[in-house]
Amino acid sequence: MNKSLYLLCLKFLVLSFGLMTFNVFADDVKININSGQIEPLPVAIADFTDKDGNSNQIGRQISEVISNNLVGSGQFKAIESAAFIAPPTSPSVRPNFTDWSPLGIKALVTGSVKNINNDEIEIEFRLWDVVAETDLIGLRLTVVSNAWRRVAHIISDEIFERLSGDSGYFDTRIVYVSESGPQNNRLKRLAIMDQDGENHQYLTDGSFLVLTPRFSPTSQEITYLAYFKNEPRVYIFNLETGQQELLGSFPGMTFAPRFSPKGDKIIMSLAQKGVTDIYTMNLNNQKVDRLTNSSSIDTSPSYSPDGKKIIFNSDRGGSQQIYIMDSNGKGVKRISFGNGRYATPVWAPKGELIAFTKMYKNKFYIGVMSPDGSGERLLAEGYLVEGPTWAPNGRVLMYFKQDKPVDDGKSTNVNLYKIDITGFRETRIITPSDGSDPAWSPLLPN
Amino acid sequence: MVGSTFISIGLHISFIIIAYFGMPSLKIKEPIEQPIDIVDDTPISSKTSLKLGTTTVKKENEKKIEEVKEKRIRKTIPPPPPAPSKEIIDKKNNELKKQKEINEIAEIIKKKPKLKIEKKKEIPKVVSKPKTLKKQTTPKVVVKPEKVKNKQKENFAKGLLNTLAEAKIKNNDVKKKKANKEDLLKKIKKMAGNSNRQVQETSLNISQTDIDRISNHVNKFFNVSYAASEVKYIIPLKIITNLDGTVQSVTIIEKSKYMKDKFYRAVADAARRAVLDSSPLPLPKGKEKLFRNIEFNFDTSFVMSY
Repeated sequence: MNKSLYLLCLKFLVLSFGLMTFNVFADDVKININSGQIEPLPVAIADFTDKDGNSNQIGRQISEVISNNLVGSGQFKAIESAAFIAPPTSPSVRPNFTDWSPLGIKALVTGSVKNINNDEIEIEFRLWDVVAETDLIGLRLTVVSNAWRRVAHIISDEIFERLSGDSGYFDTRIVYVSESGPQNNRLKRLAIMDQDGENHQYLTDGSFLVLTPRFSPTSQEITYLAYFKNEPRVYIFNLETGQQELLGSFPGMTFAPRFSPKGDKIIMSLAQKGVTDIYTMNLNNQKVDRLTNSSSIDTSPSYSPDGKKIIFNSDRGGSQQIYIMDSNGKGVKRISFGNGRYATPVWAPKGELIAFTKMYKNKFYIGVMSPDGSGERLLAEGYLVEGPTWAPNGRVLMYFKQDKPVDDGKSTNVNLYKIDITGFRETRIITPSDGSDPAWSPLLPN
Repeated sequence: MVGSTFISIGLHISFIIIAYFGMPSLKIKEPIEQPIDIVDDTPISSKTSLKLGTTTVKKENEKKIEEVKEKRIRKTIPPPPPAPSKEIIDKKNNELKKQKEINEIAEIIKKKPKLKIEKKKEIPKVVSKPKTLKKQTTPKVVVKPEKVKNKQKENFAKGLLNTLAEAKIKNNDVKKKKANKEDLLKKIKKMAGNSNRQVQETSLNISQTDIDRISNHVNKFFNVSYAASEVKYIIPLKIITNLDGTVQSVTIIEKSKYMKDKFYRAVADAARRAVLDSSPLPLPKGKEKLFRNIEFNFDTSFVMSY
C-alpha cells in the first residue's frame, strides 16, 4: 500500500512539474489598454413591427420614445431610420449585421407589437451587439394597450442597463408644483407626469397652497406641505386612491417633509415658539421623536440611503450651512465650509454624494459634495436655481430655475431642468405651465 | 486501503484543478531594447566650409574664360602616378616571400642523396615450353634524365607551397575581418554611451515599441460610459490573430464576473467591441507569429468617478 501511494505521489509531482514548465514557457503576449474614449454609443432603434413584419403606429411611437430616452441620457447617439439599409422585420430573426456595421452602429434594437385581444398587446424586443454579432438581451411583455408608453420606458431601462451597467431611470415619474397666474396671485397646484413630461395630471385644484412634494420610496404615496385654511401642515397623498391624509396634529407649523428610506417614517421640521427643530413621526404608530433641540432654525432634513445618518440645514453656526447627524439626533457635525450659504441638502440614492443649493454673491447654484463635505462641485447656476432631486440611479439631478423678473417684477418664468452629474447636458422639461419644487420617484413597480 | 483511495482521489482532483487553471507563469519575457542604428557618422562644425558667393558675377565669368584660355595655351603636365596602396605593397611582399620559400625548398630537394636503382638479375629460361605459350614482354623501364626529374620536383614543391600560402592568406583575411568587426562593435558601444548595455544583433523578439503600437491602436476604439468607473477589476480578453493581423477570435476570460457584475459585463462587451473594431491589428512585419495569441488587459481607472 505504501509503495502504491508513493508511486501515486511521485506521478502527481512529475505531472505538476510538467504543467508548471509548460505554463512557464507559454507565450501569450500581454498588452495593457489603459485609456479609451467616453463618447455616446451609436445605436439604431428600428421601428417595432406587427405580426406581418410591417411597422405600425404604436411600433413607431415605441421606438421614438426609446430613442428619445436613450439620446436624452447623453450616453447614446441614435442613427436616423432613413439611413437603414434593410430594416428588420422581426426581433426573432437574426439581422444581417453587414447591413448595420457600415453605418458605424454598435447596437441595434429590434421589436414587435402584436395584438392579443381588444385590450392587451404583446411587445417583444431584442438588443443586438452589431460588432460582436450576438444578441445581448430580449424581453417579452404583455400589457394593456394604452400602457405602451410605459413599456417603452421599461425597454429603455433594460437597454440602458445592459449597455452601460448602470440602472435606468426612464420608468419613473416627477411630482412638482405647477405654477400659473401673476406673481401677486399665483395659483399653485400639485402635478405629476412621466420623467419625459408626458402623461401630465393635476393632483390638486389649486384652492390651497402646496409646497415641497416628496415621493415615498416604497409605495405610491406623496408627502407635501399644504396651507389648508392658512395653516401649514404636512399631508400624505395616495396616488392610487387619490385620497389625502393629514399627518398628525401639531401645535406649530410643520414643513419640509421627507420619507425615511424604508417608507415607515416621515422626517420634517416643526416650528413652535420661535424655534424650528427636526422631528420624525412613525406612520404605523404615530409616535413622534424630536431629533434636534437648539435655538436655531434646523430644517430640510434628508436621510442617507441606509437610514443611519441625516443631513439638514441649520443656521446654528451663524449662517445657513449643512450639518450631518446620526439618525437618533446625536453627533451633529458641520460639513459645508465654502463661501456663501447652503440649503436644501439631498442625499443621493447610492449614498456617495449630497446635492445642495448654494447662494453666493447674489447668485444661486446647484452643487454636489461628498458626505464629509469634500469634493464640492457646482453643476448649474442662475438667477434662482433651487430644490435639487435625484434620479433613482444617482446620475441625473432635476431642479427648478427662475429667470430674472421683468416688467418690474410682475412676470417671470419658472421651469424645471435636469442635468447630468458631470455638469453637462442641462435640459429643460416641458410642462404645461411654470413648475417648481420637483421630486423624482423611484423606479415604478411592475 | 480506504485512506489511500481518498488520497489518490484528492491528488487527482488537485491535478485536474492545476491543469484547468494553470500554474502562475514564472518567466516573464521582457522586451529587449533595440540597439541604435547608426547609419552615418557625419561631423557637423559650427561654421560652414562653403565660400560665400560674391555679387560681382561678371568678374567671375571673366576669370573663368581666362582660365580656360590659359588651359588651351599651356601644356598640361601629366599628374604623377598614384603611390601604390598598402594592399598592393603587402601583396608584392607576400609574393616575394613565396618565391623565396620556393627557392629554399628547391635547394633542399637538390641536396638530398640520389636514390640508386639496382638492376635485377636475369631469370633463367625454362627448357620445356608448351606450344601455346605466348611471349611475355616485360615493361620497359624508362629512366628520366636528371634535369627533368629536378624540374618536376620543383613544380611539385611550388604547388605545395602555393596551397600552403593561400591557406595562410585566407586565415589572415578571416582574422582581419574578425578584428574589424570587433572594432566596429567597440565603436558602436562608445557612441551609444553606455558600455554596460548589451548590444544585440536584431532578432525576432517582441519590443516595447511593437506592444505600444498595438495598444495605442486599440485605445482609439475602446468606448465606455461614466459608469465604467464602477468597475474595480482589470478585464482580460484572450485574442487569437491571423498572420495578417485580423482578429480570429475574442474570448472573455472571467466568465463568472461577466455573469454576476453588470458593470463588468457592460465594460467587457465594450472591450470586445474595441478589439473587433480595431481589426486588423498593426502587427510588426516579420513577427506576426509571435502575436498569434494575445491577452489584452483593459483597465478603466482612467474613467473619472463622479
